[in-house]
Parts: sequence; C-alpha cells; structure tokens
Amino acid sequence: MTPFLLLRKLLEARLATSATSWFRASTKEIADGPTNARFCALFSQAARHVKHAPLSPAAAEVEAAERCIPGWNPERWDVLEAVRVGLVLARTDLAGDGGALALEEAFRYADEGELCALLRALGLVPGGERFLWRAREGCRSNMRSVYEAAALDTPYPALHFDDDAWRQCVIKCLFVGAPLWRLWRLDERLSPELARMALDLADERRSAGRPVPHELWLCLGPYGGARGLDALERELVPANPNRAGRCAAALAFARAGDTGRLARLEKDETDPAMREALARARAGDTGSLSFRHLAQLPS
Amino acid sequence: MRFFDPHIHVTSRTTDDLERMAAAGVRAIIEPAFWVGQPRTTAGSFVDYFASLLGWERFRAAQFGIAHYCAIGLNSKEANNESLAREVLELLPRFALKEGVVAIGEIGFDEITAAEERAYVAQVQLAREHDMVVMVHSPHRDKKRGIRRSLDIARELGFPMEKLVIDHNNEETVAGTLEAGAWAAFTIYPHTKMGSERMLEIVKKYGPERVIVDSSADWGVSDPLAVPRTAKLMLERGIAPEVVERVTWQNALEAYGQSGQIDAEALLCKPAIDQRQLFADNSVLRGQEPRVEGGVPN
Repeated sequence: MTPFLLLRKLLEARLATSATSWFRASTKEIADGPTNARFCALFSQAARHVKHAPLSPAAAEVEAAERCIPGWNPERWDVLEAVRVGLVLARTDLAGDGGALALEEAFRYADEGELCALLRALGLVPGGERFLWRAREGCRSNMRSVYEAAALDTPYPALHFDDDAWRQCVIKCLFVGAPLWRLWRLDERLSPELARMALDLADERRSAGRPVPHELWLCLGPYGGARGLDALERELVPANPNRAGRCAAALAFARAGDTGRLARLEKDETDPAMREALARARAGDTGSLSFRHLAQLPS
Repeated sequence: MRFFDPHIHVTSRTTDDLERMAAAGVRAIIEPAFWVGQPRTTAGSFVDYFASLLGWERFRAAQFGIAHYCAIGLNSKEANNESLAREVLELLPRFALKEGVVAIGEIGFDEITAAEERAYVAQVQLAREHDMVVMVHSPHRDKKRGIRRSLDIARELGFPMEKLVIDHNNEETVAGTLEAGAWAAFTIYPHTKMGSERMLEIVKKYGPERVIVDSSADWGVSDPLAVPRTAKLMLERGIAPEVVERVTWQNALEAYGQSGQIDAEALLCKPAIDQRQLFADNSVLRGQEPRVEGGVPN
C-alpha cells in the first residue's frame, strides 16, 4: 500500500462526513494539477474543515506504516497534520520539478501547523533529498513542534543527513527537550564525536548546577571511553535526585558493554525503577527504545 | 478576572511583559499587522513579518498561557509606497486565510490619501469575499473625517457593519461609530489616545454595547496592562462587574469570534502553562526552571 492510500484509510475512519467529502474533493483537485497558489490555499484551508486532535492510530495501523515506509511512525501525528500530508501526497508530480516547486512555495508561506505537516511529509515523498535544506531548517527550530516534525518518527534524518547534520540534530533534540529515543536509527549512527559532544554538554550542565537530561546518556553507546564511564558513575550516585538519570546511566553502562558494573549495581540497588532498568539491561533490552520507559519517571 | 486584549503588538514586548500580562489575567490577545516603526522596503520583509505573527509570536505567547490570534493586512502608512503596496496586497491571501487569523487589519487611513484609500478598498473587498472581520485603524490627524470615510467606504462596498471594528475612538468619534452599527474600540495609552479615566466616562455615557477596550501596546510608550488596569479602575468607581466584563472580554470575543477561529470554550478553561513541553532551551527560557504547575492566576 502507498503512504497516500494508507493515510486516506486512516483518515476516512476518523473524519466527520463533511470533512471527508472536503478531503476527497481536494485530493482529486490536487491530483488534477491546480496552480501552486490554489494548492497552498487548500493546504491552509484544511484548518477550516478539520480540527486539531490526536490521530491515535491503532497498533496495526502503526505497523502498517512501518511496513510501508520503514521509520515512519504516525503515533504522535495530529489529524489536521495527517490531512495536510494527505494533500501533499495527492500530488501526482512529486517526483518531478513541478511537485518540488509547489512544495517549496508551500514551505515559503507556511504557518507553524503547515510547516509541521510539510516536514512530516518529507519522509514520505519520493526524492526527499531535494528538500534537505528545509529538513535541516526544521531541526534548527526553537519550536519544539517543528523540531519534532522534522526529526522524530521519520526516516528522514537517518537517510539524508550527513554526519555533521546528524550530530546537530541529536544534540538539538536534548536542547528542545524532545524525546530522543524516537529518533529513528539513533543506535546505528552513534560515534565517538557524538559521544564527545554529549559529554561536553553534560559537563556544561553540571558546572552550571543544572540537571543533565537523562536521554543524553543515549548518545554514548560504546564510544564514551573512560571519560564516559566517569560521567556515568557521577550520574549513578544514590544521592542523585534525578531517578530517570540514574536509570539511564545504568542502561548506558549496558550499552557500553560494561556488564560487570551492572552485576555490582544489582547487589544493593533499592529503587524499584532502577531494579526494573537493570532487569531490562540483563535481558538485553538496551536499544534506544528502552529509554521510552524513563520519561514519565517522577524524581 | 480574565481579559481579552484585542489589539497589542506583542512582537515588540518582552517576556517580562508577557509574564505580567498573564499574571494580571490577560488570557487572549490579538496582534494586528502594523508597521514596525519605520517603513519596510521589500515585500519579503512583509512575508517574514506575517509569518512571525502566525508562528513565533503565537508560540511565544503560549509559553505564558496566553492565546494569541492575529489580523493580517497592509497598514495605512505603508500603503503610500504604492509599488510595494501592490506586491503586499497580492501576498495577503497567502496569510489571511490561515488558522488563527481573526481579521483583516489593522487597515484604514493615516493621511487619508488616495493610495491609502485604494489599499483600504482592496482589503475590505478581500474581507468581504472571505466573510472576514475587519479591524480599522483610525488616524491620529483628522480622526473624525478618517473614521467617517472608513465607514462610508465599507458601507458602499456592502460590507456588513457588524463585522467592522473601528479602533482608537475617542469622545468625539464614538457616537458616529456606534450609530453606524460598527464596533467601537478604544486604545488606552498612558499619554495620548485615551486614558482609563476618560474610558470610564465613555462607558458610563454610552453603555457597554459594542464597546471594546484595548492596549495597542507596541514599540512606543504604551502599557501592555492597559486592559486589566482600566477594568480595575472601572470596578473601583462602581461600574457593574458584568459591564466591565463586556468591554474587556466578551465584546472582543463576540466581534472577532465571528471569524470562527476562536475556540471560546478552550479560552474559558484554566490555561495550562507547560513551558517544559514547549520551550526551547536557548530561546524563551534561558536556563531557568520551566513552570509546569499550572494555571494563570486571575
């Protein structure tokens, strides 16, 4: 199934009747090749027909998306956003220059919601690499919504960013407080340079007396070296009030391959969240997805 | 109390202002497009300005629990650069139909020139085509004639008076605006336009119907707390609370709510401030602890 058909199916199960007819008429008009101004107008006016609401796809729908485009995860999409991505994908000229020019025009005049939808679409359109500059702009945004649309739940950064852009994207995620574990293929693109940048950031935060974001420890993998292990030890001290940070540090030891340290930890650890993290580590569940459990942890 | 300030150029205000506004009960604001204190020279400057009203400024206000709407338009001063004005008028539909745009504005007259009139006519027509509200800026010089001209043109174009808000009224213009059937807005400025004391007298004399109080706070000497301050004075001087609520909340909501872009129910909820969810570490908050505990006191 194409991403367009999948999205249409998802939407038609959720939209009100009037919104469905508007969506159908608009996608048909777009398939027939409207002017760029008209395309942009439909893209804006989607907000007059569809209200913001979580898309809330079922597990089977999320799996279907992953099968369709590996790395595409619509779990956190908004219905209006999905409608707009549908309008983009309704174009029949996306692989050619006409489609690219139309998307560029939509980017130029986009408001926040439109920008998010365009960025989410980039992972699904053919020849996505033509929009590299737009995706990088999205990852530089200080609006967390825009950053997330460009970077997370999409295959785009892993597929198209060079190493510099990739590392900036990872560190920016920590700065805007977005969930790094949702960055697709993070574990496959760890590096000594990324570990160094993360450790520098940890030092900065500690010097300033500020907490270290627990997902920072995701960036080390096997590349943190002695400096990384020292930093993790500091995070692990029982007096650290940041429980997510301690759990993350334990998982990071496992990710660095230091299983001996984990065994020693298990002996006298009392925090149930830590015990759970250690059990997960023992079971080999230490991929970036294992950090999803830590976000809601009260300190 | 909660307040709606339907005219404030919040792009020129600091986060201290936003914090004070939220603490004083300002729950919703409208930022109309205006000039930026000096004339722009390219259409691109307008594109970026309109985009910031729809993007960054809305995002920034939300950090403080304030709902930010905007009005899009070509202001009267810059309408006099006619070749640039033509380009900007062509651009307007790109922005005017977007989510959260509650009006075409602020438009109208500055020196009451022919170029200003052409831009005004074109924009009232745009608003009529798309069934939108219009926010009219009335001139500092020759105000009475400017307002009369704005009303007459709108009427000649068949524009519905209940969708017309005439702003910056004073004692001399209020009767004409209200008799025409338009909304009469008043800008409370520390030294010029209208003071809280004078506003009080106007509400006593004309009642609250179709009367709106705003701050028009911008890059000049102005007061982002003008609406709550005026409400406080009115209450102290014995104006009934429901009257005060009409002119500092309900009327603005009704006038601009005609756009269909304001979710009144959501505005009535206790605003959730979660800077942790939304903030960018190196922008609005710079290292201070985000506030997550909840609502704006009012």
